[in-house]
Amino acid sequence: MSKQVPETIKKQVKRSFNSKEVKKEKNEKRMKLLKEIQTKAFKRAEKYEKEYLEQEQKLVELKQKALKEGSFYREPEPKLAFIIRIRGIVGVPPKPRKILQLLRLRRIYSGVFIRLNKSSLRMLHFIDPYVTWGYPDVETVRALIYKRGHARVNHQRKIIDSNEMIYDKLQKYDIVCMEDLVHEIFTVGKNFKHANSFLWAFKLKPPVGGFSTVKKSFVNKGEHGNREQYINTLVKKMI
Amino acid sequence: MTTQQLRPIVSVFPIKGKVKTIKQVPLPSVFSAPIRPDVVRFVHTNMAKNNRQAHAVSTTAGEQTSATSWGTGRAVARIPRVKGSGTGRSGQAAFGNMCRGGRMYAPKKVWRKWHRKINTNQKRYAVCSAIAATAVTPLVMSRGHRVNKLPELPLVVSDQLQSLTKTRQAVKFLKFIGAYRDVEKVIRTKKTRVGQGKYRNRRHVLRKGPMVVYARNLGIKKAFRNIPGVETASVYTLNLLKLAPGSQMGRFIIWTESAFKLLEDIYGSWEKPSKFKSGFYLPRPVMVNTDVERIIKSDQVQTVLRNRRPRSRKYGKKIQRADPYEDMSVMVKLNPYYKTKLQKQKELDEKNKKERKEIVDKSRKEYEDWLYFSEEEEEEEEEGSDEDREIEVLSDEN
Repeated sequence: MSKQVPETIKKQVKRSFNSKEVKKEKNEKRMKLLKEIQTKAFKRAEKYEKEYLEQEQKLVELKQKALKEGSFYREPEPKLAFIIRIRGIVGVPPKPRKILQLLRLRRIYSGVFIRLNKSSLRMLHFIDPYVTWGYPDVETVRALIYKRGHARVNHQRKIIDSNEMIYDKLQKYDIVCMEDLVHEIFTVGKNFKHANSFLWAFKLKPPVGGFSTVKKSFVNKGEHGNREQYINTLVKKMI
Repeated sequence: MTTQQLRPIVSVFPIKGKVKTIKQVPLPSVFSAPIRPDVVRFVHTNMAKNNRQAHAVSTTAGEQTSATSWGTGRAVARIPRVKGSGTGRSGQAAFGNMCRGGRMYAPKKVWRKWHRKINTNQKRYAVCSAIAATAVTPLVMSRGHRVNKLPELPLVVSDQLQSLTKTRQAVKFLKFIGAYRDVEKVIRTKKTRVGQGKYRNRRHVLRKGPMVVYARNLGIKKAFRNIPGVETASVYTLNLLKLAPGSQMGRFIIWTESAFKLLEDIYGSWEKPSKFKSGFYLPRPVMVNTDVERIIKSDQVQTVLRNRRPRSRKYGKKIQRADPYEDMSVMVKLNPYYKTKLQKQKELDEKNKKERKEIVDKSRKEYEDWLYFSEEEEEEEEEGSDEDREIEVLSDEN
């Protein structure tokens, strides 16, 4: 009994979008692209390392210079803050509730990066009792994005598991790899908005060792409000 | 207009001699009418109600007593009870549907609506469907007719059949054409009716055999009358109750040639109306081409479809990825420079360590030198103690 393949099946195979040749071509293209991305990532990471080092050294230099001259060096005000929500959902008045929503801090121990300017500082003022915030350093930003960085892809929260993911979404802003993302966030570049909105709000764990008292501000030996550089130690405990 | 089983030409067979085509006639349009079992079922169930005879219960049944309730206080139910005494009937409950000898609940009335009106077009639609179904062999077989030995379906036979007068001739014809197996089935399965119909002049139950449809009765009616299971009908007055008995389509029909040809005039087509049913056109099907699979697989449809989307991951399934600070391979995938960075860091650390070591060694050496030197001094001081000095002085004196 000879098996005859129906014409419709033959046509379907020929027409198929998943045929072997088409798949192979697609795969080759993709591999090429991935290689490009990884070489770019390497070069840029190198560049950024130098840049961060230079920045640090420059700061030290200027401080020393000022000391020699007998004057003071006023450091530039911080551009980036990392906010962590440390109070729950129950019993939050409408204005702080709305601001927390706008900042994507919808649950306890969620964290976001925010650009510091007059308007955002005003917003932070309103939500001080519900959050703690400070100025993260490079290592904190890196740790957050590498370990707990999730992307908003197709209205879904997906862990960033390759540079291809970043390339697909942020290529038009010249952000193609993790280090690019870290750099954009840390230095609050031109496309900070897009880099930040690409990231889903960080879901952190409760801090190892606990809080002292969330009801008081950090300045008063509590936890809420601005804690400047001490945010870095807190994030290490919560990451 | 089903494209599947369209047979534009039908063979006409003789009634005796050899079973071979003596003529060919075109298939009337009725046989391509849409086959709608739902329409047929609806029309059949209503049409079947139309030959009912009224029946009812006597108006006075159960009411021919002057029973009255005894009321309360007598330790009996309050149902009306028969008056009087001296008989077993007295004091018994009466009138209620629950009482023995009482009237039934809602006594049946003669003026119940026995018959049903059906829209004429619906009736015609059903008949067209039923006729179309008689040409579909699977439907006829599924109805239970024995049609294996037939030369063709629909079975059209020469007009000579209409002139048959003797039952013997009719039976001979049926055997000749291969339809007698159906008749045999009827004879074999004749049974006494189950139920009370058996003593109400409906003793036996017969299957339905072939139906012979003629244009002119020149004796055919009487010839086939006595053959069990066989029914005859004029093509002008085809009855749905006979074409689809029990609302089951696919009666086995034997058409005479002129009857077959007349179908085109009686039921018309989609272009020409019926000559006998004013303003009636054949019902139109909802789908012209019912081979849906073929349509979907056709070039015209397939080339316009978008690509198949990749299969989405199962709901809730998270992509597991190790912590890059614990798994080097994950870290390198995200940051290809990381290994180099570590390397450079290591080199720098080593360099610093080396430099530091040199400095530390140098200063330690200086310290040790200083320590040694001061030790020597101390030793020298120790060597020159007070006693010794005195001795030296004494010696000088000497």
